[in-house]
Amino acid sequence: MSAELKELESILNVTLPEKLVEEVVKVEEGHFDVLTSAKNAYDLMKILHEEAGIYHLSTITGYEKEDEFNICYHIQHRIEEEVREVPINFIVTKVDKKNPKTPSMFDFFEAAEYYEREVYDFYGIYFENHPFLQRLILPERWPDDVKPMKKEYSWEQMREITMKIAKEGMEEK
Amino acid sequence: MTEYRSRFRTLTDGSDAPEGADHHVFIGPQHPWAEEPAHFIIHLKGERVVEANIRIGFNLRGIEKAMENRTWRQNVMLVPRACGICSAVHQNVYVRVVDKLAGVEDQISERARLIRMFSLEAERIHSHILWYGILAHDAGFDTMLHITWRDREIIMDIMEEVSGNRVNYSINLPGGVRRDIRPEQVPSIRERLAKLRKQVEYHKKVFTEEASIRNRLQDVGILTKEDAKKTTPNGPTARGSGLPFDVRKTYPYEMYDKIDWDLVYYTEGDVLATTLVRVDETLASIAIMERCLDQLESTQGELLIRVRPRVPEGKYMTRAEAPRGEDIHYGIANGTDKPERYKIRAPSLGNIDATLRRMDSEYIADMPVILRSYDPCFSCTNRVMLINENTGEKLILNQDEFAQKAIKAKKYNRPFF
Repeated sequence: MSAELKELESILNVTLPEKLVEEVVKVEEGHFDVLTSAKNAYDLMKILHEEAGIYHLSTITGYEKEDEFNICYHIQHRIEEEVREVPINFIVTKVDKKNPKTPSMFDFFEAAEYYEREVYDFYGIYFENHPFLQRLILPERWPDDVKPMKKEYSWEQMREITMKIAKEGMEEK
Repeated sequence: MTEYRSRFRTLTDGSDAPEGADHHVFIGPQHPWAEEPAHFIIHLKGERVVEANIRIGFNLRGIEKAMENRTWRQNVMLVPRACGICSAVHQNVYVRVVDKLAGVEDQISERARLIRMFSLEAERIHSHILWYGILAHDAGFDTMLHITWRDREIIMDIMEEVSGNRVNYSINLPGGVRRDIRPEQVPSIRERLAKLRKQVEYHKKVFTEEASIRNRLQDVGILTKEDAKKTTPNGPTARGSGLPFDVRKTYPYEMYDKIDWDLVYYTEGDVLATTLVRVDETLASIAIMERCLDQLESTQGELLIRVRPRVPEGKYMTRAEAPRGEDIHYGIANGTDKPERYKIRAPSLGNIDATLRRMDSEYIADMPVILRSYDPCFSCTNRVMLINENTGEKLILNQDEFAQKAIKAKKYNRPFF
């Protein structure tokens, strides 16, 4: 068991099963990265939410690596008596690029509903058991298969599509 | 258990209304009440609200994608454009991400940090005063709008002197700050801050004692602490509901832990509480600015240190307390001079859900003040695709043409079109 994991456990006052956690990285004093795979993410988040009592989800970042997607849940462990927060970046790794699927964390955070939709819009990552996985931010006319934040789409392509749908919108009565 | 209904909708014709609603009120994206592009759908039964929904996504600018195509250095001036009002805080969070990734965060002098703080607090003051002025206007109390906006000029004049700009200060840079606060400026700034404090104390008196506005805000749109924990609002919206979390206290950055200041929070949870949080915070911010000036007298140090254009590989998440709440940035560097991925979550998006929940079973007449209560700022919410065209007089320009035209217009002193 790594020292970082032990430190995080003592702050949260729970035990995190080692088989669920891939790695714990200490970014700076009182700020951690927790890495886990898409398979174990739901169980680990359940412990963090129900046992450690983490209820604040700041946002979700999706990002693309060479052969996988990563999804980072920025959650805050809040200690009200001390007026202190411990930021945790809960990173779900190994989300398959061909068939991107990961469990939705909506059961634990209601805010995950719209943050996950944002990630779905930009990367096409499918969140399993999400109650309302629909388009949130992209325009109505935006082509379904184009996921703008993926690296394969260049800035110029985005500009072309934007101009095209703007023109279509103006022509339509 | 009833089925979950998302308040962020995509349909807008009212056919997805909840059960029991007999009228539907649509507001926006173009509406005289809302200066910001969002589409609110208020489902009513009689005069009471059954459910309030929203549709966002009308103003997608693509700042995140644009940042991946620009260097870290260029992005310093792009990132404050994420928001028109709280631009300094976006820039501050960004430069702290760059400082940390470049490994120079320990070398930044105290003087530079104090000047950064000074600009952040000035921004909080002008944003809060602007907001509660508009709130008074929504509640039908236009005199208050005129009074507050007159007093807001004081802080804008101060910052114009210090930074050169009235709103978008652009004073933070990786490695330090762009400008110093000169000792000869300080006496006049102090004098004006004292005047501003007097005015804000008067604003507080109006909001707490004047019955016509107090009755409009008190016990309206209550958000309980339990609901607040569930819907995860941030900033003044949460602090009005008894969640005492302010990033400046809970995870101090810059020099906030070295300066003595008071955290403001209320437990009532109504619109009046969020208003008073902001009024009190304005007073606290004036005190912080004065303490910054005190410390600046005795603190010397280099204002700007060199940061290399190539940022080493790494990732870093950091946050700051923007006027509207928690502003969170996540930067991933790949060792080149451009970011691999840069994520911005501005505070308004996190506050929408909680605010729509406030509306449940309230009167339709209270809707303007409740919707205003979280300080809507949709450039905070929508920042993804860029529409880079100027269609006035059937003229479509791309970015380069626009830049060329602008340069020519400036160089040869020609009209733009």
